[in-house]
Amino acid sequence: MNFDARKYVIIVFIITVGLIYIVRLFFMQVIDDSWTLRAQEIAEKRKQIVPPRGAIFDRKGVKVVSNRTYYNLMFIEDEIKHLDTAAFAKVLGWTKDSVALRFKEIVKEQGTYRDKNDNYKKKPNYQSDRPYAFIKEMTLEEIATIAPHLDKFPGFYEEITSMRSYTYPNGANIFGYLSEVNEEEIKEDHFYRRSDNIGRAGIERFYEKELRGQKGIRYIVTSARNNELKPYMDGIYDTIAKQGPNFKLGIDILLQEYGERLMNGKRGCIVAIEPSTGEILALVSSPTYDPNLMVGNRNIAKNYPKLILDKDMPLFPRPLAAEYPPGSIFKLLQSLIALQEGVITPESGFPCNKGMVGCHNHASAGNLMDAIKFSCNPYYYAVTRRILQQGKKKSVFADAEIGLNKWHKYMMSFGLGQKFDADATGLRPGLIPNSAYYDKWYGHLRWAFSTIRSISIGQGEVKLTPLQMANIACIIANKGWYYTPHFVKSIGNKGSLPQFRVKHRSMIDAKHYDPIIEGMRRVVYVSGGTGGRAKINNEEKIVVCGKTGTVQNPQGEDHAVFTCFAPMDKPKIAIVVFIENAGFGGTWAAPTASLMIEKYLTRKVKDKEKEKRILEASFKN
Amino acid sequence: MRQGEKLTSHLDWPLLITYFLFLIMGMATVYSTALDPDHPNLFDYSQKYGKQVVWLGISLFLGLLVFLIDSTIYRKFAVPIYISTLVLLVVVLFMPPINGARAWLQIGGFGIQPAEFAKTGTALLLARYISSLNIKQQNLNSVLVANAIMIVPMILILLQPDAGTFVVFTSFLFVMYREGLTYDPLVLKLVNTIPGVKFKQTWVGTHFIPIMFAIVFLCIVTLLLSNNTITFSFLPGLIIPGFFGVILSLIVFCLIAFLFLRFISTKRERRRITTVIIIAFVLSASIASSVNYLFQGLRKHQKDRIELFLGLREDPNGEDYNRNRAMAAVGSGGLAGKGYTNASVATIESNHVPESETDFIFCPFAEEWGFIGTFILIGMYMFMFLRIIMIAERQRSRFNRVYAYSVVMILFYHLAVNIGMNIGFAPVIGIPLPFFSYGGSSMMSFSMLMFILLKLDSQRSHVLQ
Repeated sequence: MNFDARKYVIIVFIITVGLIYIVRLFFMQVIDDSWTLRAQEIAEKRKQIVPPRGAIFDRKGVKVVSNRTYYNLMFIEDEIKHLDTAAFAKVLGWTKDSVALRFKEIVKEQGTYRDKNDNYKKKPNYQSDRPYAFIKEMTLEEIATIAPHLDKFPGFYEEITSMRSYTYPNGANIFGYLSEVNEEEIKEDHFYRRSDNIGRAGIERFYEKELRGQKGIRYIVTSARNNELKPYMDGIYDTIAKQGPNFKLGIDILLQEYGERLMNGKRGCIVAIEPSTGEILALVSSPTYDPNLMVGNRNIAKNYPKLILDKDMPLFPRPLAAEYPPGSIFKLLQSLIALQEGVITPESGFPCNKGMVGCHNHASAGNLMDAIKFSCNPYYYAVTRRILQQGKKKSVFADAEIGLNKWHKYMMSFGLGQKFDADATGLRPGLIPNSAYYDKWYGHLRWAFSTIRSISIGQGEVKLTPLQMANIACIIANKGWYYTPHFVKSIGNKGSLPQFRVKHRSMIDAKHYDPIIEGMRRVVYVSGGTGGRAKINNEEKIVVCGKTGTVQNPQGEDHAVFTCFAPMDKPKIAIVVFIENAGFGGTWAAPTASLMIEKYLTRKVKDKEKEKRILEASFKN
Repeated sequence: MRQGEKLTSHLDWPLLITYFLFLIMGMATVYSTALDPDHPNLFDYSQKYGKQVVWLGISLFLGLLVFLIDSTIYRKFAVPIYISTLVLLVVVLFMPPINGARAWLQIGGFGIQPAEFAKTGTALLLARYISSLNIKQQNLNSVLVANAIMIVPMILILLQPDAGTFVVFTSFLFVMYREGLTYDPLVLKLVNTIPGVKFKQTWVGTHFIPIMFAIVFLCIVTLLLSNNTITFSFLPGLIIPGFFGVILSLIVFCLIAFLFLRFISTKRERRRITTVIIIAFVLSASIASSVNYLFQGLRKHQKDRIELFLGLREDPNGEDYNRNRAMAAVGSGGLAGKGYTNASVATIESNHVPESETDFIFCPFAEEWGFIGTFILIGMYMFMFLRIIMIAERQRSRFNRVYAYSVVMILFYHLAVNIGMNIGFAPVIGIPLPFFSYGGSSMMSFSMLMFILLKLDSQRSHVLQ
């Protein structure tokens, strides 16, 4: 019998298997992507590289916010072998118990979740194969004592992180601070991963998206034991982390520092703005804190509770968020509206009769400029009455309604009663009442000027933030327009945000500003003026135009306020100083403003005595 | 050796060159897989590639020895060789177990696996026995003796235990099939006990071996594929249910086989081929259908077992863990691969696929060279197998032919099972990929198989039998 034909059976068998294998391999390798994904899941780790945040410079080019390298002591539980707790504690300078406690704490910090697959039992998020920080944010000096011993403790390693560093201990309320993202933020923005930092206040928060830069991603081949071996495919898919752009601020850090020094021992604020650009030169909120106290989670954990519980509220950005009645500085706006409405002329005089409203002792103002100089309350009572009650309707109530709403429109055109579209968070709108507001209080047509007269001198329902007060000085300095006050001059190569390049105009014609400015000059330079202390070196080289204010405070001593700009002919700085419980505005607020102006314009302060007086004053009870 | 004849005369160069190509590719893959960047020297003996170089050197030296010795000794000494490999298989059972198997003999610093050499011994004795038979002597007795030659080492290997090599020994069944030693006498004896039945031959008994293997293969593939749907990334709307895919593949294969066989066959055979293919298609389609139907009807825990065995189910701690990772490594290679030394899943260092330098060496190769590489690799094996079959068929000596068929079937089994477990077509049983896997015993035994074959072939004209 011949079996030679059987060789074909074997040949067919071999070829069939070979073909089937080739087809199968073609499916697995070329068509089906799921194995590639599975391989990535198994062997690759995406590692994010968080770039340092953008650095921040002041208007003179001084680096005010930079980044410093810190070190985290990381560990992966699965890789820890026979930890000699005693020796480890000795290296850290801890006790044995605190090491054990820290491990428990870390597990607790991660929280728990409900396992869907296991009867919704609570299970810890902590995973023993993942890295966690044993000690966060150590300085170079701190890690230097630990790092040389780490090879004795497998499973522990150091990791570099970058954190903020502030050149000056000032401007905390401008810059804000960073802290770890929470779960919600991670869900909302996929940029973040656990233990990333996010801007919590100030510029850091407002410009978070720009400052944080672009994360880089490295694809790393990992072993079955989760060791990193090498870059995947020699790193061709990796992306480079990009640091956020450099920021240039309008802030003058030396002026800021000086302002914070002057406000030491006082509650209140200073806001200085460059009128021609709307750039904020200084924004002092007092009391304040050293921004370095809020760097890193270790510091925040230590200092945040202290700061938040402080009754003087150092974390509260007063210039942006505190709403005060403006007091007499409001009279400037009343004058402007009255002039525009034509209900007075610069030559109008009103007697200082203290029947309806109190005043201090001074001669009656025969014209508008002197009324500003004296800050005459009855004068403005009369002026505001004319604005509100123009006799357009028979009923005094209906007439007041029309008048108030017109007045409200003017006030809105000064940027009052609304939040600025500024590059800050936590701004408040203040309050400029309109008819609807009073209708709610008194009922429709149940109120007239006499009911609401205290608004004429900036008391009662009217409320402004110090930023709005400073902006009033800008509008007057510019004779009718302003740019929205803002911090950031430029981001990288780009200029400021587009909304800061839009000129906002008040509803007052430019010519009406001249008598007001003259009045403000007289406040400072003419005898009987309330703001004589705002003179710089008792000279007229730099002419300061200002207006004092004393804000009645039913809870205690009155608040002092002074708003001004200088020099008169070419204004370079507009400023408001608001000091809580300091009494009359001319006594403390005006000289403080003058020191700020001198510091800004001449870079040094000659009148040491005036400076000393302000530095030593304290109005905290 | 006859006078004046060169050592290399009548040498089958294509086979030898393919063998050397495999050695180079295998060495390169072992190097890439085991590469330690601190010791990049190929000849660094502290590294696996350094050791593999030594094994390779020893293997080639043994090959040279084989060439110097006259090929008649294999026939003469087939019995002592077989018995000595059996002795080693017995001795190894008294050795301390390594990884749960008593498979290693420690000689000096090196370990060898007698099971690897038992293949050669068995092949030689089987060749000797079958060649001594008269073609008409295919009786029950000769079938039993031939099977005994195969089964004795199999039992010893199972005692180690070494399931992989055990399975490989069934490749001798195909050799016997080729020589006409089938289970037909056994079947006949059984069938003819029925009163009134008097068969001279049964078709099932004669072709029992290839039929059984085809059925086993078809069942496994059906179960694997029927469980998931086939989708195409470039044709998002097209979803083919797995079982339909199996039937579709069967149709495609039958068509290809039909066209291929039509092309090579004579006119007279064409009708027969058509009939055979139609019958084969109907049979395999019905087998696939019934396997599929039976599987769907199974109870859940039975299904689980089978699914686990076939790797259709995630079992991170079980054996399937390895295969899943191996398949991920192979599949992630893509069309052109990740590049030499760029494997990320299957390297010794990353260790996601264990044994990636030995049993799973196909993984790093497939990962680094992609489908282009695996296509060429399988193509080369196919070429080698067909070449050996060609060599086998040109032998005048039956001894040589049986031996050559043993070689090709052993190599084929290794390829089918080894790559099968990398692509999910076979359960994980550890056997090396010929000429690729790291390891001295397998390298030496495959080289010996190959060189003895080459030597026998080069002296084929001397043998008159």
